[in-house]
Amino acid sequence: MKKNKTDITKRKWFQITPGVVSEILPLLCVSAVLVPVFAISLPWPDQTKKYLFSSAILETGAQNLVSSLYLGYRAFDTLGETVVLLTAVTGAIMIIKSSVHTNNSYTFSQQNVPSKTRMLRTELLDTVTGKLGPVVLLFGFYVMLFGHLSPGGGFQGGVVIASAIVFLSLGSKSDGALVLTKPGVLLWIEAASFGAFLIAACAGMITGNGFFTNPFPSGFPAHAYIIFLNCAVGLKVGAGVSFLCIEMIQNKE
Amino acid sequence: MIERCLIFLLFLTGFHAIIVRKNVIKKVFGLGIINSAVVILFILEGSRSGNSAPIIQPGVQDVVDPIPQALMLTAVVIGVCLTALALTLVYRLYTHSLSLHIDEIRRKIHDTTH
Amino acid sequence: MIQHTDLIFAPALLPLIGAAAAFCAKSLRGKTSRYLEIAAGCTGLVLPFFALFLLYKSTLYGAVYKGVIGNWYNDVGISYRFDGISWLINFLGFIIALPAWIYAQSEKDTKTFTPLFLIQTAAVGAMAMCADIFNLFVCLEIMGIASYILVASSAKPGAFLASFSYLMISASAMVFFLFGVYGFYRLTGSLSYDSIALGLSLLPDNGGHAAVISLALITGAVVIRVAVMPLYGWLPDAHALAPHAVSAVLSGVLIKTPLFALSRVVDILPSGRAAGELMGYAGAVTAFLAAVISLSQSDVKRLLAYSSISHIGYIVCAWGAAVHAGTHTPEGRILMSAAFGHAVFHAAFKGLLFLSVGITADRTGNRDITALRGAVKFLYRNGEKIPVTFPAFCIGFFSICALPPFNGFLSKSSISLLLAGNWQNVFLIAAGVVTIAAFIRLARIYFPDKNVPSPTYTPLASSTSGSVYISQIFLSLICLCSGLFGPFLLHTFSRILSGGLREWPFSARSFYTIPGIIKIIFYSAAGFGLYTLSNTHSVNRVLYLIKERPRSFDGLFTAFGLGLAATAAWMLFR
Repeated sequence: MKKNKTDITKRKWFQITPGVVSEILPLLCVSAVLVPVFAISLPWPDQTKKYLFSSAILETGAQNLVSSLYLGYRAFDTLGETVVLLTAVTGAIMIIKSSVHTNNSYTFSQQNVPSKTRMLRTELLDTVTGKLGPVVLLFGFYVMLFGHLSPGGGFQGGVVIASAIVFLSLGSKSDGALVLTKPGVLLWIEAASFGAFLIAACAGMITGNGFFTNPFPSGFPAHAYIIFLNCAVGLKVGAGVSFLCIEMIQNKE
Repeated sequence: MIERCLIFLLFLTGFHAIIVRKNVIKKVFGLGIINSAVVILFILEGSRSGNSAPIIQPGVQDVVDPIPQALMLTAVVIGVCLTALALTLVYRLYTHSLSLHIDEIRRKIHDTTH
Repeated sequence: MIQHTDLIFAPALLPLIGAAAAFCAKSLRGKTSRYLEIAAGCTGLVLPFFALFLLYKSTLYGAVYKGVIGNWYNDVGISYRFDGISWLINFLGFIIALPAWIYAQSEKDTKTFTPLFLIQTAAVGAMAMCADIFNLFVCLEIMGIASYILVASSAKPGAFLASFSYLMISASAMVFFLFGVYGFYRLTGSLSYDSIALGLSLLPDNGGHAAVISLALITGAVVIRVAVMPLYGWLPDAHALAPHAVSAVLSGVLIKTPLFALSRVVDILPSGRAAGELMGYAGAVTAFLAAVISLSQSDVKRLLAYSSISHIGYIVCAWGAAVHAGTHTPEGRILMSAAFGHAVFHAAFKGLLFLSVGITADRTGNRDITALRGAVKFLYRNGEKIPVTFPAFCIGFFSICALPPFNGFLSKSSISLLLAGNWQNVFLIAAGVVTIAAFIRLARIYFPDKNVPSPTYTPLASSTSGSVYISQIFLSLICLCSGLFGPFLLHTFSRILSGGLREWPFSARSFYTIPGIIKIIFYSAAGFGLYTLSNTHSVNRVLYLIKERPRSFDGLFTAFGLGLAATAAWMLFR
């Protein structure tokens, strides 16, 4: 310790300066560039807000204006976002499991880690998660299905569903006897709900209205489309995130 | 105004972590922090545009602008995905080089390929 | 029923549908899984060609498909715009993605590769018709995430570090992009390019400093993907350590698509033209410096990666000049067509080089330029009775060295002729000379040398599948056809880009003139001279120092900070 301290103070200024410069310089440049953006103080433009306030319920059927945006007006971005999530989950699992382990003296011990989590699965944890898991799952479905009426929606509900599934898979002593916590089933749910979302997006084209339009005839309540999209997104996010968590924990079991 | 200064400092903290910290996990922290800073900026400034949440109920008159919130939904999800991916890469780098220090990792990889 | 205007969504939708099918195939087993995967690949990579064919005629006569996705009210929905440049970007994307995917089928495990590759291709298709700033953000992120994973999929430790560095710098840059979006939305209240431009023109002083800085932030974030100097640091590792098919698509498509998508964004403000000017200068310097660094490399794929940076310098130089002249003026359109022409031709021959050199390095087990010799004989003895890899390499070699009648000659000459008289042209020509020297060095791996032993025969674990040869033959044919019909192709690109006008000033006779041919002979001789010079001890020492220059993770961010500040300053004070 002492040796390090004298080392640092004994280094010449021309040895320390490049390091300091290369650390301070980007911060200075970035600050100089960002300050005008932070300092904008014009009044917030509200033409979009006024339009949405007056027309969103008629056109999309959603009372929650944020839902009307991300599942109605800007649904293409939501499609992109679900693709990002799907890609990230698949890629993360592929990177963790890719089989070329060269020069690897650290083995992610197949025996130690699962047995440690096994030991932590006490009776108390099993009971509590067994009782709470279904309640959280129900809450997740509620958040998902009521997204167009109150704060919530596909993504929020999907993450709650994922936490419920992880709950059930982690805590249960019989090691995930539910079919819902098997990785294969979760993969299928994820792929199927992504397919359902795509079909919902293209359905408008078949009925002749164009891409990502409401395919239901005009007599139908408009929010049926949003509810369907919310469900597809929620199931996809839930299955994806829980698949990632379960795979990372159970790993080589 | 003070809030914007704080968000700016938050952003600088995260950016500083990415550049200066040698531990790769701290670099990933930095990425998470700058993502959070930009989300907070959008939401905070958006919340100044009205009085109540953008849910149309009887009696609600002046709602906030819902567009920053919708945009940030997407941005938050993308940020989480990037953080997850970065951490899996850190995991693989760790299993190869048994170190979380960026210079050590670089040196070990250079040694194995030469 | 499906209308004609719905066809423009096909290049983005069909790969996504293919990806969904490929994900289902991942969960199945056996023969059904394989057939479903191949069907998914065909849906995603072959069917879009039919859509592009059906759209060709209307795009050639200048049809522009504009609107809002979902047919909502203009300001709230996502605008799209499918015009000539969109068609061309889609053409570039699919013409490279298909042979790369065919090549990748020779690997053992393609179950996860196919859906990720299709998603990346879908992102390219969606980016081609972006007219909304947040949609551009989402498309860039999709493309980015797919490419980080594909780079890391070769499972080499260096690939993980390369992917990590690429991820960190790209993700940080996208946060700056979001700040730019905040700036524009705060000022104008809208997210589509046209509405933002309209809103800014209504503000005093066109939005002032904040608007210019927002545009600079967005430009800087996109330019990190394009990898001009000084923002190139992530590219050599990523392209050199990725699987060969992924390297081909990265070099061919992913560093060019954001550039052409950016050409619409810089139209929002008049100071966008200043950004183009600065990038044009940076591109010229990049072309020369990257070529010099490529000369110093000893790893075959790293040499190709630096050569990609050099060629993106050419493209950015022409692009920058186009934006500076104005993308709606005839001069700007011609320069943009030249930039795109070089983008396509470079994608074809660089893809071919990556695939052929990659298969050579894999078979011989050696990636070192100085140690590997006699690869032609080795390949012949190891199963390639009809030579495919070496002729493919030769076609790529002649194309990249810009020798007539190959396609590289035509695109480089058109850029040089259009920029004649500017100082950038000197840099571009010098870069060409250095490139010839570097590739003569690379070509030596195929020829025997009595001082260096030939690689020893190792029996292959698996026999080579035909897909390796099919993909190389496909790309070779593209290179040869674009060389023979090059002047006509460049003219057609210009017609499509300009919306039906016949503005392209060059015909075959402009390229094949006596002074032009003499110049080529002179440059080739200079390149050969430089190559012999590079074998001398002193020059070797200098090159070694260039190769072993210290590179670090934080260097990427320092460069990004400096580049961003420089762009903002240039745009504010020009």
